[in-house]
Amino acid sequence: MGLIKKLKSKILDKYCSKCQHEMNVTLQMLYALPDMRVGHYVRHEDADYYKKHLVAIQQKSQIPAGMYACSLYVYQCPSCGHRAVKLVVFLPVREEEKLEQGLYFENGEMDDFVFGAQNG
Amino acid sequence: MQYNQKIKKVNGLYLVLYIFVPMIPVAVTVLLSLLIPEQEGRFAGISALLGIAAFVWWMAGWKLVLNMKKKSMEKKLDTAGFVRNHTFNSDKSTIVIDAQHGDIALLFCFNPTAIQIASMQKITRAWVDDCAHGSGVMRGSSCVRFCFEIDGITVKVNTFTSNRRWRMDSNYILTGISKADMMVNEINRAKQAGQQAG
Repeated sequence: MGLIKKLKSKILDKYCSKCQHEMNVTLQMLYALPDMRVGHYVRHEDADYYKKHLVAIQQKSQIPAGMYACSLYVYQCPSCGHRAVKLVVFLPVREEEKLEQGLYFENGEMDDFVFGAQNG
Repeated sequence: MQYNQKIKKVNGLYLVLYIFVPMIPVAVTVLLSLLIPEQEGRFAGISALLGIAAFVWWMAGWKLVLNMKKKSMEKKLDTAGFVRNHTFNSDKSTIVIDAQHGDIALLFCFNPTAIQIASMQKITRAWVDDCAHGSGVMRGSSCVRFCFEIDGITVKVNTFTSNRRWRMDSNYILTGISKADMMVNEINRAKQAGQQAG
């Protein structure tokens, strides 16, 4: 049972990597990525890049055609309190989304951005 | 460069020269092989090689010329004070938008000798054509483009082409639609900016 939980936590983002409990999504935000345009997408793994370039928006309709967007999910484990941030970079195309990249930060790399922005 | 003249997608003289000039050396060598029978084999070989070269030129020459002209186009536009806000290079043309002055510069593969600059006010409408056909799960496309009407002619610029059909939710089609949507928005925005400025 423990092995399955560990495997789940490795494969699925919503399972805590510390205690293997299912985590809750405590915050979900939508951002535009004005630096990235269709046809000129460059993969970035660094959290600092996203902290610098993400612009908070309310709705997907606010994103101009050809501009990339990013969904941010904050997961928190109800058991041990461990926190993780997932970023999903996508290209909104009318009603569809073209997924480009998924990033998972669980060592607090995005905390100052997410919680700093919330507090500010 | 041509300013505010009637837009021409095809230059007839260039097209005629493009097609017939490569045929001249082939015809000459064939003629020589008939006139000089003792050199018949040599001239036949040369004409065959020239025939292959002409075929390659017909297939790829227009792309080569267009790519060369694209590079010189940027320099010429900059020199002329054209602000290159947005450039779109497609397989058969290059479109450059100057949102500041409300102008558009066009370069076509079969009229590469002329960089044509026109006011955005001449564009009567712009739209996206996803070339979709079929229904249900069979709905798909092999081409996405944005189109605009200028001087009564329709300019079609491909943002995606393929020799096979793709589902409408495939990444290729979505990218093509996104590029086309973006360009139509840019055209409309630049047109509005030109109207306000003018």
